[in-house]
Amino acid sequence: MKPGFLAGEVGNGLRRNTAMVISVVLVTMVSLFFLGMGLLAQRQVDTLQGYWYDKVQVSIFLCTEDTAEVASCAGGGVTEAQREQLASDLDGLRPLVQEYWYESNEEAYQRFREQFRNSPVLDNVPREAIPESYRVQLSDPTKYEVVASAFQGAPGVESVEDQREVVDKLFTFLNAVSLAAVALAGAMVICAVLLISTTIRLTAWSRRRETTIMRMVGASAFTIHLPFIVETLLATVVGAALSVGLLWAMVHYGIAGFLTELLAGQGGMIGLIGTSDLWLVAPFLVGGAVLLAIVTSWLALIRHVRV
Amino acid sequence: MIAFENVTMRYAKGDPLALQEVDVEIGRGEFVFVVGASGSGKSTLMRLIILEHEATEGRVLVAGHDLSRLPARRIPALRRQIGIVFQDFRLLSGKTVYQNVAYVLQVLGKRRHTIKQLVPETLELVGLQDKAKRLPHELSGGEQQRVAIARAMVNKPPILLADEPTGNLDPTTSTEIVAILERINRTGTTVVMATHDTSIVNTFRKRVVQLRDGRIVRDQAGGEYEAIEVEGVAAR
Ligand SMILES: Nc1ncnc2c1ncn2[C@@H]1O[C@H](COP(=O)(O)OP(=O)(O)OP(=O)(O)O)[C@@H](O)[C@H]1O
Ligand SMILES: [Mg+2]
Repeated sequence: MKPGFLAGEVGNGLRRNTAMVISVVLVTMVSLFFLGMGLLAQRQVDTLQGYWYDKVQVSIFLCTEDTAEVASCAGGGVTEAQREQLASDLDGLRPLVQEYWYESNEEAYQRFREQFRNSPVLDNVPREAIPESYRVQLSDPTKYEVVASAFQGAPGVESVEDQREVVDKLFTFLNAVSLAAVALAGAMVICAVLLISTTIRLTAWSRRRETTIMRMVGASAFTIHLPFIVETLLATVVGAALSVGLLWAMVHYGIAGFLTELLAGQGGMIGLIGTSDLWLVAPFLVGGAVLLAIVTSWLALIRHVRV
Repeated sequence: MIAFENVTMRYAKGDPLALQEVDVEIGRGEFVFVVGASGSGKSTLMRLIILEHEATEGRVLVAGHDLSRLPARRIPALRRQIGIVFQDFRLLSGKTVYQNVAYVLQVLGKRRHTIKQLVPETLELVGLQDKAKRLPHELSGGEQQRVAIARAMVNKPPILLADEPTGNLDPTTSTEIVAILERINRTGTTVVMATHDTSIVNTFRKRVVQLRDGRIVRDQAGGEYEAIEVEGVAAR
């Protein structure tokens, strides 16, 4: 079958079943939109989580040149002696302190850049403002207070933060969003599958004379099926493109735009996903649509179109 | 070219036999009328040749292939050896005469210049070269059937099957259609035509295979439609 002829056949099929094709496009769009939301929510979790989250419960931020207003930082930046003192104090708290790591200013800055890659905040933060820290893993995370009271106000310590408290609620929320979106996506994908197979049945009916002729003159099964598969592929890929468009609008205007500004305005320092994350997710959505179209139409064709 | 060896056909369990112990051989370049009352199995015979159905028992051989052993992927190649024409024409109503005939070649992925050459040539064969741009509903029944014949023949298959091609046509037009089939047959194509039409069979005097209740009851060269009965009456 020549491409021009195939295009003509596909065009005829689309024209005859416009209403059904539009519904396939829309259902695909909605199901992939939810799937995309689920995936993006997971990316958001990953973005916030950082590499230490699973291991570290407490961060002890050390003084920088900029934190002189804190009493324990009166002497300016943390000194080598203070750093060593803190390390030996941490060793003294074993076995509650299971492990700890030192994160230098350079490392912290790199991590900060990664986390806030989509945020305009990045440009206004000088490297020196990012504090070096000790990252502490506790054998019993609920005993955070023990560590906090031991180090809060110690010389060279700017502040002590319970890492889990900061992020846990957010993670719970995001995981719920992600789960709900994926569940909705699942339901919508079932809709899409049923709708595609119904559409193929209807298209097969409206094209029955053509397919009979094709069969009689010795067209291969592939040739007979191809127009149906291409039609379905077109509809689902358009649906996938629309869903990516919607997700882009959501991320670009909703998260990267509105939410970031809102949080930045309130002094919030949360790394948010941006359109770059969408471009990582989008190929999966389009690939999913293609797979959905091919598998579903192939199964429907076996049932509804004799070759 | 086509051979039935002890073929029995039953469409589904519990159905009566559509064909019983049919033994018949049709050579290359023959013209055969298959006659018989409604339900006698004429269409079933045709369907077994194009492997629309598989014989329940026995062997069907077409162009050297044993159809019971033909793998599914070879069926299209078999069907490309066979042109087929039906009583109800089965043209694509939105396409012109030319497009209907060209459709077959497009489906089979033929080159544009092959199509440009074969389609007019085939329309000329059936005498429709002047009506190439008409739509089916702008044609008479006889002309529509000629389009269907052109479509069946455009890929030059060695076998042409016609299942009651004159069933919807008046006697004069029917004769024209069979004359076209005869012309096609003279170029070497094997033609098998199922028909009810007494006068057609009696006019053209070809080999006649008669079916009754799925059995072959007569196979006669140059026969008439009701040969056995007529001869029986004449003998008395
Ligand atoms: N698709 C089918 N499924 C089940 N039974 C069928 C099918 N097609 C035909 N039959 C049965 O097989 C027998 C032979 O039918 P067939 O169509 O071959 O007869 P025919 O000689 O072509 O009749 P007609 O002259 O009316 O076209 C009949 O009893 C018919 O009911
Ligand atoms: Mg019949």
